[in-house]
Amino acid sequence: MEGKIIVVTSGKGGVGKTTATSSIGAALALEGNRVAIVDMDIGLRNLDVVMGLENRIVFNIVDVVLGRCKIEQAAIRDRRIDNLFLIPASQSDNKDVLTTAGVERVAKELVKQFDYVIMDSPAGIERGFENSIVGASEALVVCTPDVSAVRDADRVIGILYSRSLTPKLIVNRIEPARVKRGEMLSHEDVMEVLSIELAGLVPMDDKVLISSNTGTPLVLQNDSKAGQAFKRIARRLNGEEDVPFEVPTDRSSMWRKLSKTFGLTQ
Amino acid sequence: MINFETAAPVKLKGFGKGFWITLDPSHSEEVLISEIEKLLKKLKHLAVNADVVLDVGDAKGHEDLVQRIKLYLTKHFELGIVSTSPIKRSVPTERIRQRDLSKEWNQHRSDVLMLRGRVRSGQKINAKKHLVITGDVNPGAELIAGGDVIVLGKLSGKVHAGFPDKEDAIVFALGFNPSHVKIGSISASGSEDGVGSSPEFASVEKNKIIVRDYMKASPFRRMPWPEAI
Repeated sequence: MEGKIIVVTSGKGGVGKTTATSSIGAALALEGNRVAIVDMDIGLRNLDVVMGLENRIVFNIVDVVLGRCKIEQAAIRDRRIDNLFLIPASQSDNKDVLTTAGVERVAKELVKQFDYVIMDSPAGIERGFENSIVGASEALVVCTPDVSAVRDADRVIGILYSRSLTPKLIVNRIEPARVKRGEMLSHEDVMEVLSIELAGLVPMDDKVLISSNTGTPLVLQNDSKAGQAFKRIARRLNGEEDVPFEVPTDRSSMWRKLSKTFGLTQ
Repeated sequence: MINFETAAPVKLKGFGKGFWITLDPSHSEEVLISEIEKLLKKLKHLAVNADVVLDVGDAKGHEDLVQRIKLYLTKHFELGIVSTSPIKRSVPTERIRQRDLSKEWNQHRSDVLMLRGRVRSGQKINAKKHLVITGDVNPGAELIAGGDVIVLGKLSGKVHAGFPDKEDAIVFALGFNPSHVKIGSISASGSEDGVGSSPEFASVEKNKIIVRDYMKASPFRRMPWPEAI
């Protein structure tokens, strides 16, 4: 059976596409799938660092598309998760070296070898974005709860629809305390404007930064709320039904309320 | 058998809950009454409590004749209400309203572009004439219409009604919050206040764009009769 190609995109940069890609990829692999993560951000390679694999790169996706090597040669096996592979981006080229036809051909090869191929799309809606969605059968749009990210996500969703892809939404970096104070959009606000099916809600988590910098998978940390949220997203993508959506809550204020009730603080 | 083809002195047709009786006043009163009696007797119980309308067809006058026959009928038969035919409205108005209500609207061809669903950021919609969108228009989307723009949803984004210079066009939205409004050649930027609690519309008054509560100041309320556009 052929695998699925899922593109992770957002329009705006810095909303957590790379983190989402690596975490969902790792979680799908932990569920027992053979997973390839492809970094399509040619010229601005990041995924290898986030996954802690930067020292092992020999070939990259450009080499594969241009026929300079085989997929097996470019795919780097993860250090901790056995059936997780990374096909890195090239750091020296730019986005124009790839053609949509070339990427599509490689995509057809990839689905024969992997259960899931996760494409990390670059920010923007130009050539690099076009290249990353060309072979995709599913799409995930990552959006943070701020007005500019929502605007860009909206644009990207429109483009995906016009290419017959029905994207699902990940609302990333939700800060319940700030939502409560009205400083941040709530996930309901975001969903109301974007009105697409929800893939998951991910809370703001300081552990993401540490995990990215040290190259350790977020989903292997059981105390990471974001990691657990990405795990649930992966389970939903894997066809598991009835995985509940956990709305991030503000625990500190919960404690404050509780302690108020018991007369511990004022 | 009742023969509808020949010019009988009395014609009877089913009408609403009863009958419509058309008299030919060129016959004498006795003939008319005996003809009516014949017909009503044939109907037997069907004539009981039936409403009857009397008229004289295309002939004019004869009100006294109709009145006498009306009296006779109410006296001798167990009919319902016996009335004379209502006065006909002048032909032109009647014809116009009939036409509007039935035939013309069926064949009415319209340049109105009606879309349903969400219009997203970066999408641009051009309509020759009026534009109706049942759904929200997101920030960053752009609507351009030769006539009115009607949004049955939340309108954010940029909108130009009455393109290029029709200043009697309006922009209506259930949730009115566009970033920029242009009607004809007059433009205005959106307000900072966000969506109002009720439907609003924008129109041009004295070369300025004014936004009003639709339920309080609907521009169409003054029109006495619906009109196809």
